[in-house]
Amino acid sequence: MTYPAGATALAGLTVDIPAGSVGLVGANGAGKTTLFRLMLGLMQPTSGWLEVAGRSVAADPVGVRSRLGYMPEHDCLPLDQTASDIVATFGELAGLPPRAARQRASDVLDLAGLDEARFRPVGGFSTGMRQRTKLAQALVADPELVLLDEPTAGLDPVGREEMLDLVGRLAGFGISVLVATHLLDDVQRVCDHVVMIDNGHLVLAGPIDQLMQTIGLMRVEVGGRPGAVGALAEALGERGLGARAVDDHNLDVDTSGRDEAVFDLVRDTVVDLDLRLYSLSTRHRSLDDVFLQEAGR
Amino acid sequence: MTALPPTLSGAVYDRGYRPYQGLRGGRREATAALWRLSVRRALGLRRSWRQKVFPWSLLAITTVPAIVNVGVGYAIRDDPFELPDFEFFTYREYVGVSTALLLFVALTAPDVVCPDRAQRVLPLLFARPLTGVDYVLAKVGAIATIVFGFAFLPHVVLFVGQMLVSDGALDYLTDNAAVLWQVPVSVALLALYYAAVGVAVSSLTDRRIVGGVAVLGLALVTSTVAAIITSTAGDDGSALAVVNVLALPLGVRDLVFLGHIGSDNGLSGVDGGGILAVGGYLVVLLSALALLFHRYREVDL
Repeated sequence: MTYPAGATALAGLTVDIPAGSVGLVGANGAGKTTLFRLMLGLMQPTSGWLEVAGRSVAADPVGVRSRLGYMPEHDCLPLDQTASDIVATFGELAGLPPRAARQRASDVLDLAGLDEARFRPVGGFSTGMRQRTKLAQALVADPELVLLDEPTAGLDPVGREEMLDLVGRLAGFGISVLVATHLLDDVQRVCDHVVMIDNGHLVLAGPIDQLMQTIGLMRVEVGGRPGAVGALAEALGERGLGARAVDDHNLDVDTSGRDEAVFDLVRDTVVDLDLRLYSLSTRHRSLDDVFLQEAGR
Repeated sequence: MTALPPTLSGAVYDRGYRPYQGLRGGRREATAALWRLSVRRALGLRRSWRQKVFPWSLLAITTVPAIVNVGVGYAIRDDPFELPDFEFFTYREYVGVSTALLLFVALTAPDVVCPDRAQRVLPLLFARPLTGVDYVLAKVGAIATIVFGFAFLPHVVLFVGQMLVSDGALDYLTDNAAVLWQVPVSVALLALYYAAVGVAVSSLTDRRIVGGVAVLGLALVTSTVAAIITSTAGDDGSALAVVNVLALPLGVRDLVFLGHIGSDNGLSGVDGGGILAVGGYLVVLLSALALLFHRYREVDL
């Protein structure tokens, strides 16, 4: 996707995003918002194509939008209206009959925890309450997929927890979620899948559990003689295990794709070298580590 | 201990999330909803009383002349001196109570479009099954509908009132049958024009006050320039009076009622004045719509 001014926002991005809770991760300017614009049919890609919820965006952008909910990052609510009116309004704009929209507004505001405040103007709301109102308007028409742009932005720790709890429940309601964020902790907490992009390019995509498993590390602490770490790394290499010295006593062993027998293999290698084994523990990298490594930073 | 009777037992239900399985409309329904919401906003409905004062006062103001006209007609209906039928103003002239309507447009047109951009509501609107064209049609349609209502309702009061106070209601109806189509057509053309111009000018700014002042300023400046041109041109008039954007729909109104430009219009006496009025009307109207479609062709998230 190239803008008229010549800036390329997304390039060579081929990814199949499954239903469920998916995190769209990238630094500011990575192309997350551009991807949302493309998915909503608000702009056309200069090349390539998109399909959302089984529909071609280029062929039927309005039809796609009728099945999507969208929660922007920035403030976007009419401040002089009540939460109830706003959410009902966006229900009607999604094509729901007025009475059904008002009923749905009541239901989703309950769900978002704004049961009593719904009749107050949004201008008097806290940031957390405004975020919940934004989420409620995205859900009011019962979308197949909801696009959430930085849903925890500006929230205090309690508000963030509440928002993440709410987002985490959506998949259970049959609503797929695509959360754009640069907060990897949020993704790790509420998402099953992750799509990482950087400078408009795909970095990595897949189920989070699998990513964490396949890129697991084992931290081994050994001693007994000078050069123990180097000797062990060399011996493990001969047995097909990648290892990297961390300091004079510790080394990280790459256990990607290995089952638990790898622990026995490391232990036996230490014994064969007549070294002392002080500790042996699995160490899973965080999504931050994965992103930094895969993005080459 | 006594057991509770069955009628007093209860259960707590977690309603959880209920999927929606009812009717779901598309673009047409979404556009209609946006039109409805914009009408409601412009009239101050579901808003504080302060937001209601101005539109409803203007409706009252536009209706007062009709009530006065009918009232005076009623007061002199049994006049022993048999004065001719009292006519404070004609139906054609009444279509031009444009100052009140212009004030209404200057206040409400910015109110229905500026906050959408200023408060960044547009991304939410355009994430619904709506297009930029739908947005423009809904907003212009909402203002045009209200202007039509505010301009047409006083005519209904005038017509029905005059008919009732006349010597013969049926005679009055047949004598004035032409206004039954002339008034709605000319009022509709006026309402569409004012709405398109008002919304287009307002779409250029995020601030309501600036939008309102710009609408009034456009009318004042062009009508002043036209007045100067006309006064220097003498009785023959001047084709340059076409710059008066406020008077163009009144020229079209004259064509609807009279078949030619009225003597109170700056284009009166100009060769091809009628064509100029219609041409100017269409140029301004289409330019306003083109500007709006351009402004709302896409939106940033």
